[in-house]
Amino acid sequence: MTATKPDLGTWVGKGIDRVDGPHKVTGSAPYSSDVTLPGMLHAVIVTSTIPAGSVTKIDTSALLTLPGVRAVFTHENFPRLNAPAPVLFGEAPIAPMQDGRIVFHGQEVALVVADTPQEATEAARLIEITYAAEPALLDPADGQPEPLALSPDTSRGDTEAGWAAADVRVGATYTTPENTNNPLGLMGCVAAWDGDHLEIHDSTQGTNALRTTLAVMFGVPESGVRVHTPYLGGGFGAGLNQWPYKLLAAGAARELGRPVKVMLTRPQMFKLVGHRPNSEHQVRLGAGRDGVLTMIEHRASCLSSIDFPAVGLLTSGTPHLYNCPNVATVERTVRLNRRYPTSMRAPGEAEGNWAIETAMDELAHELGMDPLELRLRNLATDLDPATGKPWSSNAVIECCKVGAELFGWSRRDPRPSSMREGDLLIGWGMAATGFFAYMPVSQARVTVYADGTAAVRSAATDIGTGTYTIITQVAADLLGLHPQQVDFQLGDSDLPASAHSGGSGLASSLSNAVIDAVSHLQGALLDLTGDDSPLHGLGPDDVVCRDGALCRRDDPSVRVAIADLLAGQGLVEASGDGRLRPPDAAAASMVHAGPYGARFVEVAIDPMIGRLRVRRVVSVTDGGRILNQKLARSQIIGATVGGIGQALFEDTLTDPGTGRVANGTFGDYLVAVNADVPDIEVVFVGEPDRYTPSGTKGIGEIGLVGVAAAIGNAVHHATGRRLRDLPITIDQLMM
Amino acid sequence: MKTTRSGTRAPAKQDQYTVDVFAVVNGAPVQWRVDTRTTLLEALRDSSGLTGTKRGCDQGACGACTVHVDGARVLSCLMLAAQVDGRQVTTVEGLAGELGMHPMQEAFLRHDAFQCGFCTSGQLMSAVCLLREGRAGSDAEIREYMSGNLCRCGAYPNIVAAVREIADGAGA
Repeated sequence: MTATKPDLGTWVGKGIDRVDGPHKVTGSAPYSSDVTLPGMLHAVIVTSTIPAGSVTKIDTSALLTLPGVRAVFTHENFPRLNAPAPVLFGEAPIAPMQDGRIVFHGQEVALVVADTPQEATEAARLIEITYAAEPALLDPADGQPEPLALSPDTSRGDTEAGWAAADVRVGATYTTPENTNNPLGLMGCVAAWDGDHLEIHDSTQGTNALRTTLAVMFGVPESGVRVHTPYLGGGFGAGLNQWPYKLLAAGAARELGRPVKVMLTRPQMFKLVGHRPNSEHQVRLGAGRDGVLTMIEHRASCLSSIDFPAVGLLTSGTPHLYNCPNVATVERTVRLNRRYPTSMRAPGEAEGNWAIETAMDELAHELGMDPLELRLRNLATDLDPATGKPWSSNAVIECCKVGAELFGWSRRDPRPSSMREGDLLIGWGMAATGFFAYMPVSQARVTVYADGTAAVRSAATDIGTGTYTIITQVAADLLGLHPQQVDFQLGDSDLPASAHSGGSGLASSLSNAVIDAVSHLQGALLDLTGDDSPLHGLGPDDVVCRDGALCRRDDPSVRVAIADLLAGQGLVEASGDGRLRPPDAAAASMVHAGPYGARFVEVAIDPMIGRLRVRRVVSVTDGGRILNQKLARSQIIGATVGGIGQALFEDTLTDPGTGRVANGTFGDYLVAVNADVPDIEVVFVGEPDRYTPSGTKGIGEIGLVGVAAAIGNAVHHATGRRLRDLPITIDQLMM
Repeated sequence: MKTTRSGTRAPAKQDQYTVDVFAVVNGAPVQWRVDTRTTLLEALRDSSGLTGTKRGCDQGACGACTVHVDGARVLSCLMLAAQVDGRQVTTVEGLAGELGMHPMQEAFLRHDAFQCGFCTSGQLMSAVCLLREGRAGSDAEIREYMSGNLCRCGAYPNIVAAVREIADGAGA
């Protein structure tokens, strides 16, 4: 990393409006669904109606006589694809329609291509498919548990000794249902070939990972594949993987020699682009009478599909949040004939935290101790308890204390059902949380022009988190320019390669790549100076860019106009390439900390009709350096809304006999709506993180974690009922 | 076991499926010759290239496709194009006036009332109508009458703040 601390004090942090906002409020931002190419055909995916077996016959001859129908692809005529290469989290993409094998209800079995979407939809409705069904594995009890690559078992100390030594013990099973990501933007793409060159406009969260997959599976040079994603309508993880629909579009377009558009329907969004799988957690906690933890045991499992494993991460936070000498985590998955799982906002952490932070509330109740006090006695703030190394930063205690103060926690009467307003039962609950640190490598190029403007380029995506805006702010500070003088171009795989929007990793990855790029740009500009220049002989980090000039860092009055430097060599621009670099030795001696948080929630329950209203939320987050206060607040608010949905509404139901999604529409799958959400108080605490020059931590997901447990704990406080299975529904609250 | 999936209706000939529609969209006359099955959403997007109106579910459940027909908010995925013959349609592209953006668009920007932006057109069209309907008298009322527009990014409190600001300014 650069030797000098980057100067990020002018625009970074300010709550400026989104730079891409005007496009979004006028309807001019182009999403993949908005792309139309000359000669483009429309394709509709047909999905299986059995969970296991094979396709024995698809009669396509009648379909081909229908108006507008150009082709029907099945496993018999869809091009054979090369074996995929794992590109993300070790998961290999699925090659669709290579044989007639069916492994879940709703799997892609045919693609109908027509001149218009209406004609393709009509023909897809009329298709006749004959299957040979085989017994399906649908009951988790019948499956074979297996470990997960990203979630190895962990153990420290002796949990049985810790259990025996405890004065107070709690142990219970907690569950979370399947949740479906369901970004508002229906996912889809337009694929077009020119010889061996493929261009695809897709709603992916990572343009380079998709490029690699398409090049490998279609056997063409990676240089000839170009992915465009200037905008995407959310994703929450559903855009991370290289789903079959993209390969189907590319394959059909190549066979037909015309651009092909595939858009998923909302019901298909429940089947074909992943979900948060069901999870079960057996948790045991032991503590002394003083509340100090003596043991934590977290045994978790989740469901996977036959060909595609879950991400897991259910137990990933458990060894790190609390000081405790005796900790064991075990995590398994069971493969069933069910649709593909994937990451969904705060994967694993959202589920694991529900279990652990509910169990902590139960422990506090058994101890007769304030739940906040129990957290404060056990949270690990200086050293990571799993490794004994210092955290790069950790303000979880501050999160708890600031949140408690703002919420008025000290006025809480701890007795269940003790706080009432007329007939309403009032409950106050809280939860603490950490989140994993994840920072994949991104690259960026920073270019300055003779007219004083600058451009930043990276293949990254802005999933709605604000990537366009925050990187513009970072570059403006580093170049000494106004944000309006900086143009950040992203969403194109031909630009310097970038990691995906995911794992809360992009802001740190990309901001550090830009810091590195500006350092190289300064080196490139110094290379243009002559022997007589006042800057001659200085190093890249001895200078800074300010207002169109290259200046001595320690004396900015010593400066040379960038326009003059360029003109002197007959140039019109100069660039620096940068990337996220491995941490230096000082950083390597620490444990890279993720963000931390504390959630405080007030619920009001009408026991006659079981109605629960979330009335107040205080959400405090240690997010390291905050790049844009306004957009960061929006991230926490949005994630809190997701957490309210996880707690109270979201529940993708699977028919146990067929493996079919039983409620796969927005009419049947409930998400939080405007009227379910109160004003949310968002506060950031902590300091810039020491691990990287940007000092940032990822804040796209942490805001969701802990919301469900805080709500559940508030329900217990209001009613005395301990609910351990999400979602919490009306029938559980009628008294 | 044999499982089949088949329709009940015989395929129709193409000419039975075509209809001419004359409407005024964003103040300008338009003529669409479309498949009778074409929804207003599809006609706006595919025939007129007005892609600011989004499809989020095609089932009238998410609100992303909200537009105004004769000044009232409708879900354009649940209305056939043929139904707007002779009527006035306004989409997000028609919100801005000669002097620039509609105040509600500016308020959405200021309050960061969107993230990915996909639901935003529908939110804006509902928000503008909300004032017309006299349903922005309190935060609770705004929340209730904006609940037909889902936002998966969770911008709801900021949407309420934007609508509240414009409603207060308008004396609603």
